Amino acid sequence: MSETRGRITIDRQGDFIALAGAIDETARLGELLRLAHGGRLVLDLGGVTFINSLGVRDWIHFQTAAQKSGIAIELHRVSEPVVHQLSMIIATRSASRVASFFAPYACDGCGREDSLLIDAVAHAAELVHQRPPTMVCTECGDPMSFNDFPERYFSFLGP
Amino acid sequence: MLSSAGLATASIVIVHPDRKIQRTVQRVLGSTGYRIDAADDLGQAQRLVSHLDPVLVVVDGSVMSAPSIDQFFAAARARGAEACMTLLGPEQLAQTSRVLELGAITNLLVHPMPVLGEELTITAQKLIRNDLFGAEKYLLWGADLHAITVRRASQRAAVVAELAEHIRGRGQSARVASMAMLVTDELISNAVHNAPVNPDGLHYRADLPRDAEVELDDLHAVSVRWACDGRYLAIEVGDQFGSLDRDTILSALCQHDVRDSGGGAGMGIALTYRSCDHLVFNLAPGRRTEVVALIDVRFPHSERVAASSFNVFVERAQ
Repeated sequence: MSETRGRITIDRQGDFIALAGAIDETARLGELLRLAHGGRLVLDLGGVTFINSLGVRDWIHFQTAAQKSGIAIELHRVSEPVVHQLSMIIATRSASRVASFFAPYACDGCGREDSLLIDAVAHAAELVHQRPPTMVCTECGDPMSFNDFPERYFSFLGP
Repeated sequence: MLSSAGLATASIVIVHPDRKIQRTVQRVLGSTGYRIDAADDLGQAQRLVSHLDPVLVVVDGSVMSAPSIDQFFAAARARGAEACMTLLGPEQLAQTSRVLELGAITNLLVHPMPVLGEELTITAQKLIRNDLFGAEKYLLWGADLHAITVRRASQRAAVVAELAEHIRGRGQSARVASMAMLVTDELISNAVHNAPVNPDGLHYRADLPRDAEVELDDLHAVSVRWACDGRYLAIEVGDQFGSLDRDTILSALCQHDVRDSGGGAGMGIALTYRSCDHLVFNLAPGRRTEVVALIDVRFPHSERVAASSFNVFVERAQ
């Protein structure tokens, strides 16, 4: 089941709700709460390419409404643009738990830049110390370095 | 180090404890044609300023926490200094929030080297010449600015999409495109909805739903230009109201560090600042506002300085 509103597409795949496109003033995220099952809403944010300040406001209202309704939100494959907002504004992540997210890496050998998926549960011990997991370049096989400031990028995982 | 030769001469005053950097800054700013005077600390600077007619003072970030800093800036302004610029090196990044909270610094240059010569020169020249407008000032010769006029509020999404496609098509990373999209979206949104003001000072479009269609006549049309010269991607957005003021900007930039902000007025400016490497506000009160965001495309993100420069320039009456 797929629905487009404004610049965002909402695709329901079993328990997963996949969002793709831009979260802005047209997103009306609060309406997603009716798709929760057993007090739980699972979102796949891998396709979100952009979130503006109006989208951030909508996201905060969405989180507040989820908290009031006792709905826990599980975030999977959180894209980099969303991570940046989660890291910057604490209110954006009040009702959410991040299961996995994308992070920027750059290859030390060939210079390839990529956005790679990190399992926040499997790598919890490293991430709590803001240490990015080791990654290998799919193009040349060399190690890849984390391509941001860990203390800033991973701050969304903090309390 | 007091390098003044004659007194009561128009000059640029540098306050920096490191003499090697003093000399670098002196060489860079010497290009303006003004005499350059340097001081090692605020005490020296204060004495120096009392005998000079400074057009500009440039202060290292390390002295920003000194108790007498406000007194020094006041003395410099009283002697005619047009603006106070602060330089922050990577080791002083912790000072950023303090500088923003001061609310008095209108020009902050964050630099990865002893000093970033071109940023310093451009900032000084703009202040001294009172010639503020145009992203061209930040770009190398030959960079073509792509121009669009926004004539409907709903055009914002299409302009942002076109910009992203343009950037990706020229080999820039998804991250640069993502930063550029956010910057452009926020700046157009501000220019369309927050800039229009009536003679009573009422921002009559500020409360309109952002997804409502609004036709923009010649007065309300928003100009958008962008170009990349291989060093910076520059995005320039302008309106013809000139209603954005210095205090609103400085207050919004402070929100940059208020991490538990629920998002209020000014969040768009804070997000824009966070999403570029250098944010420039050119203000002609009551006449024109232009914002230029510069995104450094030369280095991987992890090799950049973890803070951004900003300038707030206010045009002097001619």
